[in-house]
Amino acid sequence: MRILAIVPFVLASTLAAQGTSEVYGMVRDSTGKPIPAARVSVQGMLLSVNTDSRGEYRLSGVPAGTVILSAGHVIGYLAVFDTVSITASTPLRHDFVLRSQVMSLRPIVVTAAKRPQSLEDVVASVALLSDSDIAKRAVNTIDEAVDKAPGVQFLSGQVNIRGSSGFVQGLGSRVLLLVDGVPANQGDRGGISWDLLPVDDVERVEVVKGAGSALYGSAAFGGVVNLITREVPVGVHARLRATGGAYANPPYAEWRFRDFTGMHGGAELTSSYGREDLRGAVTVGGWRSDGYRQQDHQDHWQLAGKGDWRASPYTRLTVSGSWASDQYQVPLAWCERGGCDDRGQAYQPFLIDTSGLGSHTRSDKGYLTAVLARTPSERVHWQARASWLRTHFTDFQPTSRDDYGVADRFGGELRGEFRPDGGGSVVTVGAETGLSDITSNIFGGSHHQGEYAAYGEGERPLGGGGSPAHLTAGARIDFLTIDGGALSAVVSPRVGAVLPTGAGIWRASAGRGFRAPSLAERFVSTVVSGFTVDSNPNLKPEKAWTFEVGHARPIAGSARVDAALFWTEASQLIEPTVNTTVLKIQFQNVARARLAGLDLAVSANPLTPRLATTLGYTFLYARELSHDTVPQRPLAFRPRHLLTLGADYTAGGLSVGAEFRYSSRFERVELTPPSDPRVAVKVLDLRAGWARGPASVRVLVANALNYLYNYAPRALEPVRTVSVTFVFIY
Amino acid sequence: MLPHPPSARLLLPIAIPILAFACNEGLRPFRVPTTCPHGFVGICGTVRFRGALPDSTEAVYLVAYPTFPQSRNDLFNFVPFPPQSIPTADSSYFYTLGILNGRYEWVVAVWKKLGSFNPDFSNADSLLREAGYYRDRSDPTRPGVVVVNGSGTDSINIVVDFANMHPISYYFPAAAKQ
Repeated sequence: MRILAIVPFVLASTLAAQGTSEVYGMVRDSTGKPIPAARVSVQGMLLSVNTDSRGEYRLSGVPAGTVILSAGHVIGYLAVFDTVSITASTPLRHDFVLRSQVMSLRPIVVTAAKRPQSLEDVVASVALLSDSDIAKRAVNTIDEAVDKAPGVQFLSGQVNIRGSSGFVQGLGSRVLLLVDGVPANQGDRGGISWDLLPVDDVERVEVVKGAGSALYGSAAFGGVVNLITREVPVGVHARLRATGGAYANPPYAEWRFRDFTGMHGGAELTSSYGREDLRGAVTVGGWRSDGYRQQDHQDHWQLAGKGDWRASPYTRLTVSGSWASDQYQVPLAWCERGGCDDRGQAYQPFLIDTSGLGSHTRSDKGYLTAVLARTPSERVHWQARASWLRTHFTDFQPTSRDDYGVADRFGGELRGEFRPDGGGSVVTVGAETGLSDITSNIFGGSHHQGEYAAYGEGERPLGGGGSPAHLTAGARIDFLTIDGGALSAVVSPRVGAVLPTGAGIWRASAGRGFRAPSLAERFVSTVVSGFTVDSNPNLKPEKAWTFEVGHARPIAGSARVDAALFWTEASQLIEPTVNTTVLKIQFQNVARARLAGLDLAVSANPLTPRLATTLGYTFLYARELSHDTVPQRPLAFRPRHLLTLGADYTAGGLSVGAEFRYSSRFERVELTPPSDPRVAVKVLDLRAGWARGPASVRVLVANALNYLYNYAPRALEPVRTVSVTFVFIY
Repeated sequence: MLPHPPSARLLLPIAIPILAFACNEGLRPFRVPTTCPHGFVGICGTVRFRGALPDSTEAVYLVAYPTFPQSRNDLFNFVPFPPQSIPTADSSYFYTLGILNGRYEWVVAVWKKLGSFNPDFSNADSLLREAGYYRDRSDPTRPGVVVVNGSGTDSINIVVDFANMHPISYYFPAAAKQ
């Protein structure tokens, strides 16, 4: 904190200086091992760069004078701040040595307050995934890695943070997805396309738990997931990632459904060129999979790019985009007795009902975004962004009409960050707009939704000393309009506090979350099981209050514990409801719910620093409260216990590890007969890796015990899958 | 490096749950039952089919009504929802219908003709037929009452006669529509 006190003086001297120069060097750990992907930054400016695979960095355009350089942003290491003197046109070598720690107490996060801040200053619970966390899981899409974060669970592709969403066929996610801070939920269904980005373009993931509507508005009802893409390095670089593997066959002869082994494989190639002022990267890739069950083939193609123009140390324009195309067969529900060649079995989880044979989907999606950021002084930072997200799907159904939907979501935001006293107080204000246009034969033709919002949040330190307490308060007002109709307003306040003590850091927050109904929920019009699903344009936003008290502390220097008690009271939840008076299914605001529990994350290095272990546990009490004639009952598709255990042992370039996920049996499910099989989930992943220089190979045996289970009704989750991933960085 | 490495006992909290939980209790093959399965809550029985299955068949559903419908408006007060269809390929089918504890006055097989309902269900009479129901053993002309009380209630047998099905108007004439 003493460093922060001298920041204004340092910045003042920097501004007074003339000319620029270059800083270069290496970032190593205390054993001399290079640390790739560490962020080296000039404090108070928009100058930053990541180290390459050799731990080297090169940062140009650094103004002459005295500046503070920082190196960090690597989970497992403490950040380092060094003051250096820059002489114009004289390159300076400056190496960093990062001290390892179980978990750095000061990783920088950018999602919780819409600005960079130390993790220890965040009033909400945050889970982080570094690029090494992602890499060691050897996944094809980013959701497979996020799935193992504490308190996070994916149910057939639908993300839940502390049980927020349940499972509603991908409609109306109660979690907001951001790509580099830009909202990316679908414009029609409100769901999330997790394959929107090439997995290797993602540098890290931040998961903010609890209602985040005070800054992010709709969809941040249960939390926010921010995918942060890699910085483009200076020089010519390339990155190749190739993966291949096989699916296990059913472990029981009665369930065998093919006479060959299903395979999957793919590759991504990223090439980049960067100067100090102008940088660009392009990624192309694709993968294909036979799938692990009948009619489960998938092809995926991807193109992504990022450009970066650093007009000055204080001004930066970033343009990025991605386009992905998927053609996949649709397994739909597994086959129940009589629905296929059941071989005398009550159900065949690897086969589908013959009525669904031939169904397949084409899904194209892409986004384009531009962000202009400027730091005109040490007290002011602002940024403006514009974005466009497009999704287009067509469901081909041999026995009925084909369904399609096209959605365009345009977004814009202007945000300012002010430090009025030049010290620890920060005020963030902004205005945001989102416009969605959809055309679909099942969402009632063409519709339009407008969202206009203004927000502000202030943070103020209380008291002095090296680690003062912080108070945060803010609110956001969202105005919504459908098809040009009247505006409706939703106000979402949030207050929070962080109190560092000698025994750790306490945090508390209370905030409101809301989710505007997706256009699909309002206007869906189709037929399910012979019943008409009818539109309900009068749907209102879901609302919730979330309270949280958390505590983080190191233990004996080799462990870190973060625990949070949370309580969410939700009202007007949107659910499909059978309206017996009009004999239709409609989405209606019917349910009140309570989600409360404990969220615990522990990381430790027992025995030796080479062994890193993690534990994530969530106890969830999720109840739908009584309403109308419905008595209080468990919320559907929520496990009471969610446990993740991990252990990784690293020796030189070799590493081996395991991860185990337990999810207790759902107390209640919907849209399936109670007689359908339901089991607890016990999945063990094994992994090993070898890295030498720019090359690395990883082997993942996901679901090593070939444990068969399902989350969504009659949808088998992946069987044992062996994957080998090769990465080469130039 | 820790000056005093913790004991290996620290690993036990991790190892024990893995060993305890790792025993495979996932989904397993399950042969078609002939009686209510252990632990099952609902009703079970055999549906026997008579007559020729109409070409226009979309599905045959099996549903239960807590009270016998008194009007057309009551026709959708059935459980479970969504309704469970039963295969018709063989001459008989042993079914299990998972429903909550309670008393059910009508357990009925409903034949559904190919086609979609009108938004106001005005064509329900042409698309739905009562194809058979569980009958009172002492008076087979009347529906039998079924009680579910925490387990499977067995032998709720039904005969579906495709040659003798009844439309809604058989029970609720148009004059008594509401």
